[in-house]
Amino acid sequence: MSKKQWLPRLSCALSRAYSSFSASSSSPPSTSFPLKHVTKSNFESALAELRAHVRAADFVAIDLEMTGVISAPWRESFEFDRFDVRYLKVKDSVEKFAVVQFGVCPFRWDSQRQSFIAHPHNFFVFPREELLSGGPSPEFLCQTSSLDFLAKYQFDFNTCIREGISYLSRGQEDEALRRLTLHCKRLSDLSKDSEDGEGTPLVNFTDVLFSKRMKDKLSEWRSGLLHSTRNATSQCHDMSKGSKQQFQTVFFKMRPAVTLNGFTSHQLNLIRMVTKKYFKDLVFIRASGENSCSEQFVVYTDTESDKALLLTEVKNEYHRDAEKKIKAAIGVRHVIDLLSSEKKLIVGHNCFLDIAHVYSKFLGPLPCTAEEFVSSLNKHFPYIVDTKILLNSSDVLQRRMKKASTSLSSAYLLLCRQITLGVDKGSDSGSSPSVKIEVEMDDTRSTDWNSGAKHEAGYDAFMTGCIFAQACHHLGVDFNQHSPSPLNLALNENLQKHINRLYLSWFNWNIIDLITGKQIDAVGSNSSLNKRFSKIVFENVVLIWRFPSKLKAMEINECLCKVFGPTSVASVFRVDESAVLVHFSKPEFVSDFLLLKETLEGSNDVISAVHPLSGILEGGKTGAANYETYKEICRSPVSMALLADSADDVVGLGWRRKKMVSVGKGESGNEGRTSVGEEVYESSGSCLSRDVVEVEDMRATHM
Amino acid sequence: MVALPPPLRRRFFCTQAAKASRNHFSWTVKQVKKSNFTADIVEEIKTQVSASDFVAVSLQKTGSFAAPWHRPSPFDTPDIAYLKAKYAADRFQVLQLAICPFSIRAPTVTACPYNFHLFPRDEMKTGMPSYSFSCQSSSLVAMARDGFDFNACITDGISYLSREQESLVKTRSERPRPVSDLGESASPLSVADSIFVERVKSRVKHWKNACQDSGSNTKEESLVKALRRLIVTTEQFESRPCMNIDVCSDRQAHLVVKMLQKFDENLVPLMVPAKGGGTQAVRVVSTTSKEDRDLLLKKLQNDEDEANKNIRGFREVIDLISASQKPIVSHNSLNDLTFIHSKFLGPLPPSVEEFMESLHHVFPHVIDVNHLIQEIGLPKRVTSIPYTISYLKHRYPVPIDVEIPFQGAAVEEEIHGHNVVSISELFAKLCCILKLTPGVGEVHVEKGTSPLQVYANTFNPLVSGPQEEPTVREEIRVWTSSNTKKVRCDDLVFLWGFRSGTTAGELKSLLQGSHEVFSEGFHVRLVDKSCAIVVFWRPGSSGTFLNAMTHNLSDASSSSLRELVSEGVRASGYETYDRACRSGFWEASLADSLDKAAVAMADIRVSSESDHRTELLDSYQKSELMIDLDEL
Repeated sequence: MSKKQWLPRLSCALSRAYSSFSASSSSPPSTSFPLKHVTKSNFESALAELRAHVRAADFVAIDLEMTGVISAPWRESFEFDRFDVRYLKVKDSVEKFAVVQFGVCPFRWDSQRQSFIAHPHNFFVFPREELLSGGPSPEFLCQTSSLDFLAKYQFDFNTCIREGISYLSRGQEDEALRRLTLHCKRLSDLSKDSEDGEGTPLVNFTDVLFSKRMKDKLSEWRSGLLHSTRNATSQCHDMSKGSKQQFQTVFFKMRPAVTLNGFTSHQLNLIRMVTKKYFKDLVFIRASGENSCSEQFVVYTDTESDKALLLTEVKNEYHRDAEKKIKAAIGVRHVIDLLSSEKKLIVGHNCFLDIAHVYSKFLGPLPCTAEEFVSSLNKHFPYIVDTKILLNSSDVLQRRMKKASTSLSSAYLLLCRQITLGVDKGSDSGSSPSVKIEVEMDDTRSTDWNSGAKHEAGYDAFMTGCIFAQACHHLGVDFNQHSPSPLNLALNENLQKHINRLYLSWFNWNIIDLITGKQIDAVGSNSSLNKRFSKIVFENVVLIWRFPSKLKAMEINECLCKVFGPTSVASVFRVDESAVLVHFSKPEFVSDFLLLKETLEGSNDVISAVHPLSGILEGGKTGAANYETYKEICRSPVSMALLADSADDVVGLGWRRKKMVSVGKGESGNEGRTSVGEEVYESSGSCLSRDVVEVEDMRATHM
Repeated sequence: MVALPPPLRRRFFCTQAAKASRNHFSWTVKQVKKSNFTADIVEEIKTQVSASDFVAVSLQKTGSFAAPWHRPSPFDTPDIAYLKAKYAADRFQVLQLAICPFSIRAPTVTACPYNFHLFPRDEMKTGMPSYSFSCQSSSLVAMARDGFDFNACITDGISYLSREQESLVKTRSERPRPVSDLGESASPLSVADSIFVERVKSRVKHWKNACQDSGSNTKEESLVKALRRLIVTTEQFESRPCMNIDVCSDRQAHLVVKMLQKFDENLVPLMVPAKGGGTQAVRVVSTTSKEDRDLLLKKLQNDEDEANKNIRGFREVIDLISASQKPIVSHNSLNDLTFIHSKFLGPLPPSVEEFMESLHHVFPHVIDVNHLIQEIGLPKRVTSIPYTISYLKHRYPVPIDVEIPFQGAAVEEEIHGHNVVSISELFAKLCCILKLTPGVGEVHVEKGTSPLQVYANTFNPLVSGPQEEPTVREEIRVWTSSNTKKVRCDDLVFLWGFRSGTTAGELKSLLQGSHEVFSEGFHVRLVDKSCAIVVFWRPGSSGTFLNAMTHNLSDASSSSLRELVSEGVRASGYETYDRACRSGFWEASLADSLDKAAVAMADIRVSSESDHRTELLDSYQKSELMIDLDEL
């Protein structure tokens, strides 16, 4: 019995049989059935089903699983990051990593049953190269610890890679269609241009022989054809058996034709040339046949106009086929298009990264700034609510959560007890009754469905939706108020101050308003943290990298205090082993420091050697720059293991240039070439020399 | 209803899929994963390797070349070919590495193939061996088609650290370790030093006396002993009494150790490393006798070895192959060995010379099967191993039997790692054909007597055979369809910015009328969709052309050339291509990369005003390469 459960089709059939008997029963018995996995093989049917569910839904919960979050340790979101830098870090993450699972769970309020009906779907996603574009093969980054994490939660990578559904973003689709039109235009240009194809003269003796033979064969066939139309008796009686196989007379678009089988592409090319050169009424046609392999024909046309007609016909068919292929390649984006066109309320848990992934993978490249992103996003998804913000910002929910962690699983355990504990126990003493949620999958229903696994996108989406439903309930949203018309939660006044607000990162430090694109101060439990870092004046911050590696943040602090005075440094923040951000108390210190550094490096005398700053500058490779440069580094796609390496790459160009001049002057140019090489590679060196960086369970913050 | 727990259920899904596509081979390849990677198997491999003549290797990677022009081209200098391989090796990951120690006793090849499943799991929580890595979806899909089990790879792959990473970890480890060698400290003792030493000395003296007190009175009951220990606050290390002496600097640590050596032989000083490097304390362990002391040191050494073994992981195997000094046989040595270097030795150096030198210390002899294939003169572009084998079978009926001495039942997942056996087989075949087959016990490439010696360590993937070693530096060879010509690097011009979709023929006819240099013979080939190379048969023409493109556009003679330029066509010499590769401008289209490189070079020229460009040019004129135009 247990085995049967896992064969979806069988369980589906069973449940269908079951439900047809007991369709009217008000509460189906608690059943456990697996989460609905959607792969290439069942995508079409699942999408059709989902379409109906989403249309009827009051809100749709989503969740994503990615191959990673942080491309290098210093790309982690820090307290020291400004609003715009934080966005750039999210952008970097989104552009590098791939989405491997997409969980969608529409929720619909059933006023008769007085419960929400949920339809969790788990889409396996894999960025396959469906269209042979000839461009670079899609490439994505994997964070080792993230893969490890997913593996720990039994993520099925095999299904993902073998069966995952691919996608085209809107941008990619447009590009593919544009390329197709261009290609078709070229094709018709070619057919008009009759001179083409004769350009390459036959140099090879065997080619000449072959062409001659083909010419004879074709003219034989043609005359046979013409002859037989007059005298409908045996045709091509003198053809040998072998050539009969290669030269099979068929009908192509209602016209007599020969299929060309078993020729090499070079031979086909020669045949094409022969056809063009010697036969006015024969056309060489390349058509894509069944299962995408191409077939070649030489077709007989009565008249010049018939020939033109045939060519357009073939061209149109090619165009149609190609278009169909492009449409098919859209894949998972259909789901996004569906969510976007239905303008449903989207619910996620700490979902800024998820939403950014959705935008970049399915809509188009991420804009450069958070404001642009938000305004563009708003056109596609006008209503987004984040359950983590909801839980943190509402006093009612804060009290209910009793200061517990707002991670997805713990919030689910706390708020949605009736699902996790089994059957609905009604109201337990003290707390108000919770919202009932039923899961429906392939006509099977359950009130205590919990057979999904944590960190499976479909199940996470389901949990998120459940939390949202309970939160709405606690916030006093009356689900029956509008019944039977749709709930319209997006406009509900009790939710208004929580809607369209997201944490601008995978850490909950800044909240971004999706309507205005402005930063909002976070309220709730994290305000203490915010207070500590809200005082950062970013003009006062300087980035220092590649200082002597044994130097501790404290020592850097001391060094700087010796030069600029004991109160000059507000704080020193270690970004990674190779770099620190120093927060001075006044903006002048930044320029003073940069200037002093340059003078010290320029001079070679004793004073600079004993200068207090020499501790930081020792080694001669120390770099320093203001906060805007730090932003530039975060913007750059270069993600080396150490911030210092990336910094040199971004900042280094000017610095390198300066150095090159001095090298050139010093060594009379003999070593010119090697010096160029070395300069360039100074920055792009080690990817492996990594220091101890506490690799956190990245997901802990994302949950 | 018996419900399977979720994990089981999910896995059920995938094992089915894994079995779906499997091809039937009769060869048994031992699959080694984390769960069966034991000291025994390492020992077994060690024996096999030392008994064999060669070791074939083959790698399964998460990607190869992102864009068409990132593949090695015939017109790449060895440096550029290396940079291309380095770019791939730096980003992608090795998920399987198969090794096959084998010996040839014609007509039999005795091979012992092992296939290791690898995953760069961060076992030590240090962000190593690899914080993140790139994957090419086409590569993953191809691997999946071959039945690769990604779940098993991620959960049960063996991790590793490169040699460099290991030494990094060692400096960071917080295990106290014995003092290895004390150099003489240069500076003389200051007053403060002497006071410090004296104070420590008296502390140690008191502590030692207390220890011996408890030691001498053997009849004391354990309770009393424990109590005494509490009072004296003596800690224990390896069940011996010990005390910690905090030090502020390496110099102090040095002084303490010096003092202890003079003070008592049986006191063993151990360095307790600080978090950020350096020493935070000296731990003094009291041993009872010289034997006891040696015992302790030996124990510490063993522990250290054990810990290191865990750190190294799979690299143990690389190390033992390296130690054996056996010749490595590979099918694409530049790619494979750059990967091996970057994952198991250390970061790849910037130039091919440094790479060769660094690799030579570890693997002194690397033989690329491809070079042997080219020696026979197979049809060009034959790269796949199965094809080559079947081709050779028809053309040279040399019987070669592969014998794998592993007995026993076929392992469950024996589908992987067959490539490495094929390489061994192919190598043996080629040796036979080329009459290189070493007789019994004669395979000592390292002695320089074997004819194979000449084939070792040629890394440029498209240079055929050893006789292509640079002798004449001025010329490079070019093959066209009819004959073979030699061309110098600077007779090559890169052309880009033309309308996308233009064919080489169209481009050639466009060029033909545009300038008088094209009245002489020249050759056009597309490198990728965006860029073409133009080869001038006549020396100096390229310079004339480039000059015309950049400076003399106002000439009346070049109106059609002006037309080309105004349409956006750009041209540049070999140095721009070289610059693009060196600077790491690995854009998807070569045109973009060349644009970037051209900008960067213009910047340099402006800032330095020196004749860097001519220097660059000089260096390319010296370098030699071979161009096979047909392979473009």
